[in-house]
Amino acid sequence: MTEWKDEMTAIERMTAYAKGEDIDRLPCVPIVGNTAARVIGVKVSDFRGNGELIAKAHIAAYKLFHYDNIRVFTDLYTQAEAMGSEVIYPEDETAYLGQPVIKLDPRLSNLDEIDKLRPADPYKDGNLPEHLKAMRIVVDAVGEEVPVGGAVTGPFTNSSFLVGAENLVRLTLKNPEAVHKLCQVSLESNLRYVDAVIDAGVTPSLTDAMSSSTVISPRLFRKFSLPYLKKLIDHIHDKGKKVTLHICGKTDGIWEDMVKAGADCLSIDNDADILKAKELVGDRVMLMGNVRPSETMLEGTVEDVRKATVEVVRKVYDSPKGFIVASGCSLPTETPFENIHEMLNTVRRIGNPFAIKDATSIVA
Amino acid sequence: MEKEELLRQIADAVVEMEEDTVEELAQQSLTAGIDAYETIDLGLAKGMERAGQLFDEEEYFVPELLMCSDAMNVGIDVLKPHLKSENVSKKGKVVIGVVEGDTHDIGKNLVRLMMETGGFEVLDLGRDIPPAEFVSKAEEYGADIIGIATLMTTTMPGMKEVVDILANKGIRDKYKVIVGGGPISPAFAKKIGADGYARNAADAVKVAEKLLGNTDLALGA
Repeated sequence: MTEWKDEMTAIERMTAYAKGEDIDRLPCVPIVGNTAARVIGVKVSDFRGNGELIAKAHIAAYKLFHYDNIRVFTDLYTQAEAMGSEVIYPEDETAYLGQPVIKLDPRLSNLDEIDKLRPADPYKDGNLPEHLKAMRIVVDAVGEEVPVGGAVTGPFTNSSFLVGAENLVRLTLKNPEAVHKLCQVSLESNLRYVDAVIDAGVTPSLTDAMSSSTVISPRLFRKFSLPYLKKLIDHIHDKGKKVTLHICGKTDGIWEDMVKAGADCLSIDNDADILKAKELVGDRVMLMGNVRPSETMLEGTVEDVRKATVEVVRKVYDSPKGFIVASGCSLPTETPFENIHEMLNTVRRIGNPFAIKDATSIVA
Repeated sequence: MEKEELLRQIADAVVEMEEDTVEELAQQSLTAGIDAYETIDLGLAKGMERAGQLFDEEEYFVPELLMCSDAMNVGIDVLKPHLKSENVSKKGKVVIGVVEGDTHDIGKNLVRLMMETGGFEVLDLGRDIPPAEFVSKAEEYGADIIGIATLMTTTMPGMKEVVDILANKGIRDKYKVIVGGGPISPAFAKKIGADGYARNAADAVKVAEKLLGNTDLALGA
């Protein structure tokens, strides 16, 4: 349970932190996704086509844990689904991709199918309207006290959901032109969607799993992912919003590029070294991360969570552009509540990071 | 062309992802009367092994590895009809699949490829496989190894279920269970009672060889 009372709301804290003013504690975001279903006791599949329920769950989860950012999120496939890909909804687990909309034959001879793709209409297609509805409800309910984000899947990753991941990575080497077409139409979907997300009063939050150096080389990232990400981020900036960019897995070879793409905050996966991120790009972007979502948050004890949280704060609390204590990726649905509470309580016990003399004095 | 030189060029062409060159050289090897198995083993598989090393060293990534395997498969298609049946001796039988609830199968496909080129006989169950099916298929196939992959934290409990089913049926010792995938750690593998943890596709082959090697020792073979 929450044993410590926060002295500031999340928005007060984030605003003061950005200005370098005193704060009661570091911002903390255990990235809650479908765990929100557990908070209100519903099945994950109940979220399908039900913006009101998604909103209710995220509001309840926020009120239970009091973290510093609500991210309206169920899965990565919402935009690909709106463009025609099949998404499978197990009764009580996170949805996953079924048949992609473009069914390429093994010889890749029907690539002209790609030309038939059209960007999704966020107000009509798939479950996008319900996600937008969820965002509006959340902002109305708690938007005064906590920043609200809407999950947007980046162009390269969305492309992989349109043709299948294996086909997309093959095409990066076999037919670059096809990949550019896919990324372009995904970007157009993204642009429409982020406009709608911003109109809903919410900040787009970018996830781009397939851009990871665990999958493609930094060279291919720069060729196929970066140009489209940059256009997307420029567009969001033009609308006056800051951008958090999460790329899963290994990313150290592309941090510079993620900064170049214009991201204001990099969300660092637990597979990457966040101390190194502080040294290399911490002077230019805020960092968030990277307690292990599965080993520590799902499987670990409360004590494990406390230790991991202290450890990451010791490493990164003094990152020049700021640091948000977070999980390295979205939390698994069944993450125990006490572990989520413990991450926040640890940060509360550590208190004001500006009052810290040195890393060794950080205890909780 | 010397035999060694030809085999070396085939391996190089696999590493360089050149399907057409592989096809052409594989044909040449047959014309030159080189044993098809030898060309696969010392040419194609050698090249794939080097591709695996490059993947390990982060010179190659998933796209490159897939393209190398495409090139290798072109060569195998040419050579397969010419294989003599006695030289298809295999290191062991593996059933492999992605656990139920997860349809990410790039990683699993790479493991299958590397295992096949590493000399294992592999039955690929596909993705989204219920735990009980891993066991029933392993029994049917007479597998030595059960390989279970997942990329998602949500489906990790399914891995433990496979081990538990084996134990409940009293056939746990018949199989070596290897787990791997994004969220999996050696600690998790140990916790659920798996025999091995594979860091990546190249590693999976080494782990499998090691585990079966140990079995032989344990049996006094």
